[in-house]
Amino acid sequence: MNDTSKKPFSKDIILLDNVEEVIENITAQMRKDTFQRLHRMGGVIGISGGIDSSVCMALAAKAYGPEKCLGVMLPEQDSSGDSETLARELADKFGVKSILENITGALSGFKCYERRDEAVARVFPEYDPATYKMKIGIKQSGLYTNLPPVFNLTIIDADGNEKEERLPAKDYLQIVAASNFKQRSRMSMLYYHAEAMHYVVVGTPNKHEKEQGFFVKYGDGGADIMPIGQLYKTQVYQIAEYMGVPQGIIDRTPTTDTYTAEQTQEEFFYQMPHQLMDIYWYGYENGYDPAEVAEVMGETEDHVKAMFVNFERKYKTTEYLRLPPIREYYNGNI
Amino acid sequence: MQMEQIKEKVTDYILEATFAEKEKIKEDTLIFKEGFFDSMGFVMLLGFLEDSFSVKPVDADLVEENFESINAITNFVVRKQAA
Repeated sequence: MNDTSKKPFSKDIILLDNVEEVIENITAQMRKDTFQRLHRMGGVIGISGGIDSSVCMALAAKAYGPEKCLGVMLPEQDSSGDSETLARELADKFGVKSILENITGALSGFKCYERRDEAVARVFPEYDPATYKMKIGIKQSGLYTNLPPVFNLTIIDADGNEKEERLPAKDYLQIVAASNFKQRSRMSMLYYHAEAMHYVVVGTPNKHEKEQGFFVKYGDGGADIMPIGQLYKTQVYQIAEYMGVPQGIIDRTPTTDTYTAEQTQEEFFYQMPHQLMDIYWYGYENGYDPAEVAEVMGETEDHVKAMFVNFERKYKTTEYLRLPPIREYYNGNI
Repeated sequence: MQMEQIKEKVTDYILEATFAEKEKIKEDTLIFKEGFFDSMGFVMLLGFLEDSFSVKPVDADLVEENFESINAITNFVVRKQAA
């Protein structure tokens, strides 16, 4: 497993040595792909005030020129109010035109909220969406075990009292399926603007979201190009700092901004801070010896081994999300 | 329900839920470590245990030793029913 040609493992191993060169390469490729391969004239980006979409907008503005970019804010009734303020600040900073499309009406039409709340109320009959907030999270620490995490539903009343219950499969699936209308409605709106302007949709998932399956198939996973799809979150932050993304966006804790209650991405999905996740994932992906990684990180070898097995399982079990439609059903011989 | 009957039901469920060939999953196959089940599979397995054996694991029960194989799950059900 230990390859002597590899750099010795270190906590800084994923840091970009030359941020400027990386940005130049990415933006050159974006121009080539968008103009020459896809034959489109610019890019549309859904901007949420989060770090990933902000960096994508900064890259698109540099790649195409700000006049060939459109930032679309896509809030709905559960979105955080900060998102819009930060997204506007971002668009102003990079001189990109931005518009606001509130998708609450579309989501109501899909009965997104109704379907979600129906499932929540099956678990907590007292749940009233007018007075309660809700979120889904994972409870047990599954990092060092082969057992995958289970999902817990939390409701919070107006006085801040929380109740938590493990989610049965049927209710979990319904809540997620209903909530995914949000990302898929955003994708539809982005494609409306992209097609109306003959632009591409610039997708915002980063490397972890793509490889660990933390995105919605044909939702935020539906795009024409994904400029940060090969970048670790730590590297996304490096680019954000270098390109001058507003500090309020850089300092903001990454959240899902999907459920009515505040929820960090760590709490919902990753189970560890991205700074650590990035380093361990790099070690796993590049075949480093768990003993070497453990020594650098101050962890036990068994824990690192278990984490690597966990990463492998996560990658394999989310393949469904990354696969395009399968069409190998006829070989043309009959 | 006798232990052998429990094991048979658990085995049938796991084979049906994973679409795995019978010879691929033995009584001591590590079904999570070898990737037969993902998160959703685990949640569904918990639902199956509750529906079939009236066993509702508490958070402290959600450890690998209780669910890692058909044998482990069977023993867990037997223990919970006896408690």
